[in-house]
Order: sequence, then C-alpha cells, then structure tokens
Amino acid sequence: MEKVLLKNVGKPDSHRIDTYLAGGGYEALKKALRMDTEDIIQMVKDSGLMGRGGAGFPTGLKWSFIPKDPTLQKYLCCNADEGEPGTFKDRSIIEHDPHLLLEGMAISCYAIGADTAYIYIRGEFAFGARRLEEAIAEAYQKGYLGKDILGSGFSLNIHVHRGFGAYICGEETALLESIEGCRGQPRKKPPFPALSGLYGKPTVINNVETLACVPTIISRGAEWFASIGPEKSPGPKIFGVSGHVNRPGLYELPMGTPLREIVYEHAGGIRNGRRLKAVIPGGVSAPLLTEEQIDISMDFDTLAHEGSMLGSGGVIVMDDTTCMVKAAYIINRFFSHESCGKCTPCREGTTWMTSILKRLEYGEGRPGDVELLEGLCGNIFGRTFCPLGDGAVMALRGALRNFRQEFVYHAENGRCMV
Amino acid sequence: MGDRETGVVTLKVNGKEITVREGTLILDAAREAGCHIPTFCYQATLSGVGSCRMCLVEIEGQRKLQPSCVTPVMSGMEVKTESESVISARQAMLEFLLSNHALDCPVCDKGGECELQNMVYTYGPRKGRYAEVKIRHHEKDYVLSPVIVKNSNRCVQCMRCVRVCGEVVGRGVLGAIGRGAHQEETSFLRSYLDCDHDGMCIEVCPVGCFMRRPYRYRARPWDLRGSRTVCPYCATGCRMTIEERDGEVVRSIAREGEGFNDKMLCARGRFGYDILNSGGEERLTTPLIKKNGMFEPVSWEKALSIIREQFTKADPRRLGGIASAALTNEELYLFQRLVREVLGSGNIDSTSRWDAATTGAFIFATGITGGGVSIYDCMEAETVFVVGGQVSEENPVTDYIIRYVSDSSRKSVLVASTRAMKLDTSAELSLRHLPGRLGALFNGLVLTLYEDNQERLEGIKEIGVLKGRTVTDLAAECGVSEADLRALCARLESSGSISMVVGTDLLRFREGISGLRLLGDALRALGKVLKILPVLDRCNQRGAWDMGVHPLFGPDYRKVERAGLGCDGMLDQAMDGAMDALYVVGEDVVNMYPDRTFAEEALSRVGFLVVQDVSLTDTARMAHLVLPGAYPGEKEGTFTNQEGRVQHISRLLEPPGQARVDLEIIEAVGSSIVHGFSDGTPQTVFDEIRREVSMYRDAAFSGGSPDGWLVKKSARRLEGFELIEEKKVSLDADPEHPYFLVTGNHIFLSGSLSRRSGILNELVREAVVEISEEAAGELGVIDGQTVSVSGRGFDATYSVRIRKGTPREVVFIAENFEDKAANRFYKRGDVVPRVKITA
Ligand SMILES: Cc1cc2nc3c(=O)[nH]c(=O)nc-3n(C[C@H](O)[C@H](O)[C@H](O)COP(=O)(O)O)c2cc1C
Ligand code: SF4
Ligand code: SF4
Ligand code: SF4
Ligand code: FES
Repeated sequence: MEKVLLKNVGKPDSHRIDTYLAGGGYEALKKALRMDTEDIIQMVKDSGLMGRGGAGFPTGLKWSFIPKDPTLQKYLCCNADEGEPGTFKDRSIIEHDPHLLLEGMAISCYAIGADTAYIYIRGEFAFGARRLEEAIAEAYQKGYLGKDILGSGFSLNIHVHRGFGAYICGEETALLESIEGCRGQPRKKPPFPALSGLYGKPTVINNVETLACVPTIISRGAEWFASIGPEKSPGPKIFGVSGHVNRPGLYELPMGTPLREIVYEHAGGIRNGRRLKAVIPGGVSAPLLTEEQIDISMDFDTLAHEGSMLGSGGVIVMDDTTCMVKAAYIINRFFSHESCGKCTPCREGTTWMTSILKRLEYGEGRPGDVELLEGLCGNIFGRTFCPLGDGAVMALRGALRNFRQEFVYHAENGRCMV
Repeated sequence: MGDRETGVVTLKVNGKEITVREGTLILDAAREAGCHIPTFCYQATLSGVGSCRMCLVEIEGQRKLQPSCVTPVMSGMEVKTESESVISARQAMLEFLLSNHALDCPVCDKGGECELQNMVYTYGPRKGRYAEVKIRHHEKDYVLSPVIVKNSNRCVQCMRCVRVCGEVVGRGVLGAIGRGAHQEETSFLRSYLDCDHDGMCIEVCPVGCFMRRPYRYRARPWDLRGSRTVCPYCATGCRMTIEERDGEVVRSIAREGEGFNDKMLCARGRFGYDILNSGGEERLTTPLIKKNGMFEPVSWEKALSIIREQFTKADPRRLGGIASAALTNEELYLFQRLVREVLGSGNIDSTSRWDAATTGAFIFATGITGGGVSIYDCMEAETVFVVGGQVSEENPVTDYIIRYVSDSSRKSVLVASTRAMKLDTSAELSLRHLPGRLGALFNGLVLTLYEDNQERLEGIKEIGVLKGRTVTDLAAECGVSEADLRALCARLESSGSISMVVGTDLLRFREGISGLRLLGDALRALGKVLKILPVLDRCNQRGAWDMGVHPLFGPDYRKVERAGLGCDGMLDQAMDGAMDALYVVGEDVVNMYPDRTFAEEALSRVGFLVVQDVSLTDTARMAHLVLPGAYPGEKEGTFTNQEGRVQHISRLLEPPGQARVDLEIIEAVGSSIVHGFSDGTPQTVFDEIRREVSMYRDAAFSGGSPDGWLVKKSARRLEGFELIEEKKVSLDADPEHPYFLVTGNHIFLSGSLSRRSGILNELVREAVVEISEEAAGELGVIDGQTVSVSGRGFDATYSVRIRKGTPREVVFIAENFEDKAANRFYKRGDVVPRVKITA
C-alpha cells in the first residue's frame, strides 16, 4: 500500500517545513481554505474516517456536532497524550512529520470554525514537544499559521500543552480539565465537549493520527480514502507491534489487515521461532486474542464483534514463555496506578485486584482468589465513571477467560506453570 | 409524548407512574415516588459529580446502570431502583468503600451518625472479602486549624468537603492530593488552614474524616442531649441544635431539613456554643449591688424592691429602657410593655449604635412592614444587588446562600461596598464606593435610569431633588467611575426582577436611605419586580422592631402618641443630669455607642442604672444594680430573623446559680410595680403578641415547619418616616489623618457576646486592622506586622491584615475588641472617623 501517514518518516530532515513542502505539503490546506466548511465536514464524513484514539468515533460526525454560530468561541484539542501501553504511533508523526499534524489541525479548525487549538502532549514526550514548537514556529513564519492564513481571512493559533504524566489525561474530558489547570479527572457527560468543552466552549478532541489523515482526505478525496480497507472502517492505519516478535515497529497498513499477516509477515514472526501464546490487538485495555483467533481482520467492527477492540492499534505479542498471571498483574498494576481516584469501583476495585494479582504472582495466592477476581471484575464493569476502569476489567477478563488454569495453578501451587 | 410544552415529564419508577418537572433528577423523582436511593457524593446544594456510584439505577433499555444523582428524567423512562443488578451494585460499592476504610468506628467521633455505617447496615454485604493490606494516608490525626482535625483513613472520596469549601463558603482552600487510591482531600499539602473556619467541611463529611477539634473524643452521639435553637450571632438566624453532655455544651450542629439553612453555619454558629459553658468568674450568678464603688451580692427580693422604689419615684420622662436586639420576641414585647405601661415612659430603644429616626426610615425604605421575604425567594430574581454592608463577614451564611444559589443558577450578582468582599468573586460586577456615600451611589443610579426613561419616571416627584445634578458628579462624589456606575445601572435596567440585599451601612452612616427609597420607587415604576432583604447583625433586630422596642413606634409599628427618646436622646438627657433611672438589658452601651467616652460620661450621670446581662460588661460595671440574665440556650422563646422568619428556640440548660431567664426578670420587675403585670411564660406572652401584632397573627409558637414562619404584612402603615433629612457625611481631606475608618463585625465575632467564647477567641488572637494593598505599600508594612492607629483622641496598636481589593483610603477595625474598642475612635456625631497609621 502507498504510505499516507508515514510517507515522510525516514526522509532526511523530515520534520522540516521545507521537506514537507517539497513533498506537496500544505497543498491540502490551500485547497481546503477555498472550500466551504460544510463541504469539508461532508467530505470527512464520506471518507468514513473513524477516530484513531481508541473509541473509533466517526470524525466527520463529531465535527458536525459543533454549533454553527460564528460568534461562539470554539476550540480544537489534539490528543497527543498517547498513554496506552503498547501504543507509540502518534509519537512518530509528532517527531518525524509534525507538519502533517499541523496541516490536519489547520484544516479541522477551519472546518469547525476554531481559531485556537491546543496540542495536549504527554509530558514524557519532551523531544516531541520541542519538535512541535519548532514546527509551529516554522508554520507561523511561512504563513500557514497565525493571522489571515494565506490571505483567506482565517486565523489560527496553536499552543502546545505538556501533560504531567497521568494516563487519565488522555481521556478527552480529563484532558480538558488538565488544560484548564485543574486536576486531571474526567467530567460528567453530558454536556458533551462538542457543546461545552474547553472553558465551557464547543470543542473537538481528536487523536494525532486522526488529524494526520485529514490532509490526504482533502487532497485525494473521500472516495479514495474510503476505498482503502473494509467498507465500515476504512483508511490507512498505523499498527505498532511490540513484544516477542522479530521486527517490532510501526507498520502503516490498510485497516482490516489480518492480524496473522501483521505478526508473521510484517513483524517477522515470533522471536526465536517460538510459539505464539497471545496477542493484545489494541493497547492494554483490549482483551487478548489467542493463537486460534488471530486470523481476524484488524478493524473496529470485526474486533468489537470478537469481544476485543482495535483501540489504538498497539499490537502486543506474547510468546509461550509468557506467564499470563504476571502479564495480567503488570497490566492491572498499570490501571490501578493510573486510576484517577474519582469513582469508587475503579479506585478501590483496581487497587484490590492488583493486590490479589501481586500475591498470586509472588506465590502467595489463596484458594478462592480466582473466583474473587472474577467477582470483582463483575463488580467494577459497567459501573465506573469513565472507561478506564472498564478497560482494566476487560484486560483481566481476557486473560482469565483464556488462561484460567494458569491463575488457578498460581493460587494452588504458589508458582508458575509456564 | 407531548410533555414538552407543559414542562412536566411522566415516567415510571419501580412500576409506579409519576409526573415531575422537566429537568428533575432521577434521584429526586424516585424520592418523590417514595423510593429511597442511597447516595454519598450527592448533596442538593453542591454541583453534581456522579462519582461515588452509590445511586446507580437501572433504566429500561439502557445497557449500563446510570447514576441517578446526575441523570435527569426523560419522558417514558422506566426506572428500577431495587432490581437485582442495582442491589448488587450497591453492595459492591459499599464493599469497595470499606476495603480501604480504617474501620476504627469504636473510637471515631462519627460512630453512631455515620453515613457509611448506616448505609452498610441498610444496604451492605453482610460479609467483607477484603483481606489485603490497607492503604493508610497517615498514622495520627492531623490538625488543620484551631477547630478542624483530620483523619483521611476514613475517607470515601465523595469530594463534598472540597465542593462545599469552594461552592458554598467560597474559600476553595481544600483540594485533593495524590491519585487513585492515594487520593486525599485536604488543604494544600496538609498545611495549616487560613480560612473561614466555619467547619462546613466537617458538617458535610459523611464519615469521620473532618472532625470538630474541640469535640473530638468528647462524646458519642447517643450520649448527647440536644435542643433546637437559633444561632444568636447574627440576624441570618440559622437553625441549629446545641448538644450537651453532663451539663456541658459540646457542640452545635446544623442538619439537613431542620431549617432553611440546612447544614450551613459559619464559625460563630458552629463553634461559638461554648459561651454557654463560660461559667466561673465571668458569668453573673447573682444580683449585685454597688456599695462604695464595689459590687456586693444581693438577694432577688432586695434587688426588686430597690428597683421598684427607684423606678416608681422617678419622673417617667426622666426614665427609660434599652433592651438588646438579642433578646427573644417575648422578652422584648414584655420589656416595652414594662417601659410604656408600667413605667409610663416612651423612652425606649433596642440599639445603642443607630439613631431612632434613621432606623425608622430604614424600616420604611426596606419595606419591613410589608411582611417577610425569604432569601430563597430573593434569589429567584434575575439580578441580586448586594449593597450597604459586608455581608460575607457580617452574615456569613447569607453570603453562602447568595453564592451557591447564584453560582449554580448563573444569576447575576452585583456588589457595591466600601471594602473588598468574598462575594466579589461570584459577582458579575463589583464596585467600591466611599464610606458614607451610598446616597450619591443610589442617586447616581436613579439619575441614570431617569435619563433613559424620562417619561415613565416623571411621576416620581422626589426625582426633582436631583435636578441640576449629573451622573458624572454623583459618580465622582461616591468615588465610583462613571462607566462602572452606568454598567451597574444597565444590569438593573435589563433585568425584569431584582432583589436588593441591603446591609446596615445605611444605619451606621445615617445616609443613603432616601436614595434607596427613590431607587426602589424608580425600579418599580419601570415595572421591575423588586424584593428587598435587609441584612441585620443582631439576631433579633427585626423582632425588636416588630415588638415596638423603638421610641417612635409601638408593637406592629403602631404610631405612638408621644414620641420618646432613643438611646442617643437618653444619653443626651443623662449628660444634662436629667435621667433618673435607666434599665439596660443585654446591651453593652459603653462598647457599642459610637463615642465611648461620651457614653461612659453620660451613663455615669444616670441617677439609677440597672444593667441586666450574662456577664459583667463594661456597661454593667457602671451600674448601681446588676441583674444576672440568661443566654439563649437557657431560655425558650422566638426570634425573628432578617427575613422576617419566626423561629422557636428551646431550652437546653438552666441558667447557673441565681441567674434567671430575662423574661422572668422583666416580668418580676413589672409585677413588683403592678400586680398581675403578666404571668411571664413565653407561650402566653407569645399569644399576646399574636393578638397585638397583626404581622404575627397566624404564627405558631413552636412546632410548625422546620423552616419557621414568615411574618405577614402589617395591617398598619408605618408613618412619619417617608422623608428624613440626611446630613452629608463629611469626607474632607485631613492630611494628618489620611485614612477613613470603617467598623463592623469581625467574621468570627458578633458584638460583645462572642468575646466570651474561648473557641472563637482562639481564631482571633489579636486585634486586627485591615488595610488595602496600596496603603500597605505606602506604609511599608506587611501582613501580621504591628502598627499603631491613631485617631483624634485615641490610639492603639493592631496587627495588620492586608486586604486586596479594598480602596487605598479605607481601613477597617472590628467592633469586637473590647480592650481596643473601635468606638473610641469616634467623636459623637462622627460617622467616618479619620485615622493615621504608623508602622
Ligand atoms: C482512560 C483513557 C485514556 C485515553 N487515552 C488516550 C490517548 O492517550 N490518546 C488518544 O488519542 N485518545 C485517548 N483516549 C480516547 C479519548 O478519550 C478520545 O476518545 C479521543 O482522543 C478522541 O479522538 P478520536 O476521535 O480522534 O479518536 C483515552 C480514553 C480513555 C478512556
Ligand atoms: S473509572 Fe473512575 S476512577 Fe477510574 S479513571 Fe475513570 S473516573 Fe477515574
Ligand atoms: S472551614 Fe470552611 S473555609 Fe475552612 S476548609 Fe472547611 S469549608 Fe473551607
Ligand atoms: S474527607 Fe469526608 S467529605 Fe471529604 S472526600 Fe473524604 S469523605 Fe468526602
Ligand atoms: S450519589 Fe450519585 S454517584 Fe454519588
């Protein structure tokens, strides 16, 4: 497939505006500024682009919720928090092709009528934040940002806002709280950000990869974009493969590429010729799939149908040396550590589960622990304030469902069977 | 479903169909349908967060359970509050909350009245499965303020403390530190609090995290005996219950649903209860008679016979009475009967701070005779204009109600005051005017309205007074920018309904009342729905007026045949040696009269001075005869708050020693002169009030609604106060004394009553002078530094407190420091004393 999102990555000085312009950069913005904003939104709708941040919400539809009243202040927030373990796709766009993101943001802002945008970037991405600042400065200088962009009358300022190391701040409303200088905890919805978001104003929040798709949709057309991959969730997608494979890394492939192909062809198969045990298809919140399940099309619909999810497209591969109790413990520890503390089931439940998993892992399991874990999953799931707590349960349930005997073995024998 | 237009929604709760207002929360709808849903984070007066997940309910057709405390009803909804999944969710939440909970109930203050305990008892799993190490935030309880101590290991993370501090109290000094299970609600890094110390955080905490420091480990709730009363510290009139154990009052508490103030109290109300325990030397326990300059105990019989002798031989015109506006309605009513009927004198007053003509005009202008106005009704208006006082400090709970109602319903609040005020942050527009210049401010507003609406206002003839004035010069006169004044006026003009919350500055500065009346007339002429809420400081000031403790009108604002003298007049007459006898009940004239030296001199010339009080105040020290009275917690009766709300207070303790309830004393004095004067029980006196005061005709003495009862419109018209002459307050430059002194109540204190509370005094260790940032800059002083303040004739040292937003030339000293009494800065007739400050 022709690369769209990673096409510049690998070019010398790929982050410079000159390189970007030489590859036809900012032409889509020029085109968009001559278009009617409604037409842009329609085009993005037609392209079938679905949010790449994890939830897979149709992007054009999200934009269309923004009130049309021109007197209202509106904002765009780019979600560059990339906190989901196993996910590292946004980083490469930010570091190696920042102008692709900026162009996408400029077009989106124009479409929704925002004159101010924020890039909320995770604190650890210090280098990326610097790259973005440099790129923004270049764009201002060349007139792609700032007042009256390219004589169109449209003005835009973009600010980089660095996070402080909380996974929850990737959740869109916690992200807004954080930008406002408040404690990073999710807000209750409704009201949805499209009506009352940042500083109470209509706001669109989109993932980096989502926004990076926008210039191509404008320049190549909605139909072209929609023709890539499955009809229901089309487009190019960056899969980040990590774990026990021979060639971990980022692979831009059509949405719907079979998981087996990603693991065995693109990522070069399992290291040391070992056997595949399980794959997490979309970041740690996504329930794992076993060897038998990997002939699956990697797209939002199919994975959801299979009881897992595409999430952020972070593929974590585990071979047969992996202890599932340990993996579950580490993943669960992540969730309890990152639980924001707002709601009871997630705050207390994930902490409790982590304590049990830790004991199991360290050989201090007790009879009944597995049933207790299953019970706690049921007590948390569907009752949390935001999806973080549910994510923790889905991950653990995935492991328990497929590898229950390993947990039981830990509980009964105080050691690992792998 | 056609409910749209009607604004009501029909839904089913557990199969039962009910109809509620659109926008109602499922939680409230269910309660209306008789189905109780348990909650932790929900509090009616706070913003909804939906975080504790206790209130989850099942909604037909929705995959997930929904939090009923933040989800509004929709037409046709079918809600289940007792389905299997709901019940299991509740049990799960409780099991989770207990998992890291300290479970030290046997030593916890909250044990026995803890929401978590009660909830687990009602809904909880019978058995806990948690068998891991618990997270502990800290080992020992830690102290957050002189009145607050904290144990975070019991927390259920409901954030009520944080929200109440920000949304109701308006301080926002609490927040959360840590994340996830390590989250802890506390002050900034657990530092010592510099805040309002009102303990709202304690009251809303469902468990035993925030605790009253003076009460900790003192009692278990089931050992306490309580009685319902009203806070005596300001006329907001908060309902509360005071509770004693073994004869000692150990706490006061306000509970949801037990009064209009729900859980709200300020520092005074919540912690000033210990005056009731201030027995010992401070408290008067027997009548005293002065012999050779020394007090000696004397029996009641003897005391009463001396009084009878002195009072009956005096010329009624040379005789008078002053009764504090902190007495009950029954006491005040009987007192005026005593003075008028028994002693035959018209000289009577309920304050030593304000003059009689001014109070009369104030009553007229604020429409007090028109009946009670609930503060919540006032808050229904589109715009609330707070003017003429320092509500945030004088009447803290009035401030809370204005804040939380306006912030949650996006009302526009306008503030005009002489000093910076906490309410500023909730105000759409907030401006500072010069002290003693409310008249110019009101007139400026009237003139601006007139410019825009000449025809409609032509009918108000008093506007003529303003002919020849301009908005520009009126704005300059009150020290407000013309643009601000016009902006304020524009807000008023664009609102269909306006409530004015008017403080006692009009009484203090003796001006602005005609202006207020004119503004009221103008706004009404423009078709505005106008409500006025007077904000008063003494707890029963409104009752005192209703009862006719005033030289110019009797009970029910009945015109008196011959006007008597008010406090001012009586002191004048005493100065001339023409006061034979004066009976003062509960009022500390020496400390409150604006010119202490004059008051002392005048009182020393009274032929026979009887002072009845709970302790030996500076005024009592001057008396010939002292009678030991009682605190509110020791008597039964009613108070009428600033809204006109009549509330019953009941008795918790007996007055100590030979001290007696003031009503009984007044009755005894009366009966000693006229046989059968009254039987002196609160109930019969109240019945008499109901007969004599039309506003109280339908009032109930006790029982009735927990919200009390609002007085009705008086059947009479208050006459003679339509127009009063106001002297212009002089603010001429005085280079020697460049600052204007403003006085009033300290936020933690009220009059001289609260000075006897050990707990409150701990909150204010030293006398403070509040100055602006600019003045601090000029003087080169910092917060906490000692400065000397000198006026014409008095100087003293005070600790500096810098107040951002107060105008440069205004300084404030509270009236509550007896040793450095602010009234010493006043010369008689002074309204705005000038002072100098030296570092
Ligand atoms: C706990 C949590 C963490 C999240 N973290 C991220 C993140 O790091 N980056 C991201 O783009 N979206 C994240 N999301 C998803 C966002 O809430 C949101 O759906 C997304 O940014 C929307 O953008 P999109 O429509 O372009 O996908 C997270 C969601 C949750 C519940
Ligand atoms: S599920 Fe609850 S505690 Fe967990 S992150 Fe979301 S809001 Fe916070
Ligand atoms: S006492 Fe009042 S101001 Fe102080 S922390 Fe508690 S709620 Fe806030
Ligand atoms: S301290 Fe009390 S009020 Fe505050 S969050 Fe904890 S339980 Fe709630
Ligand atoms: S009471 Fe509804 S979530 Fe807490």
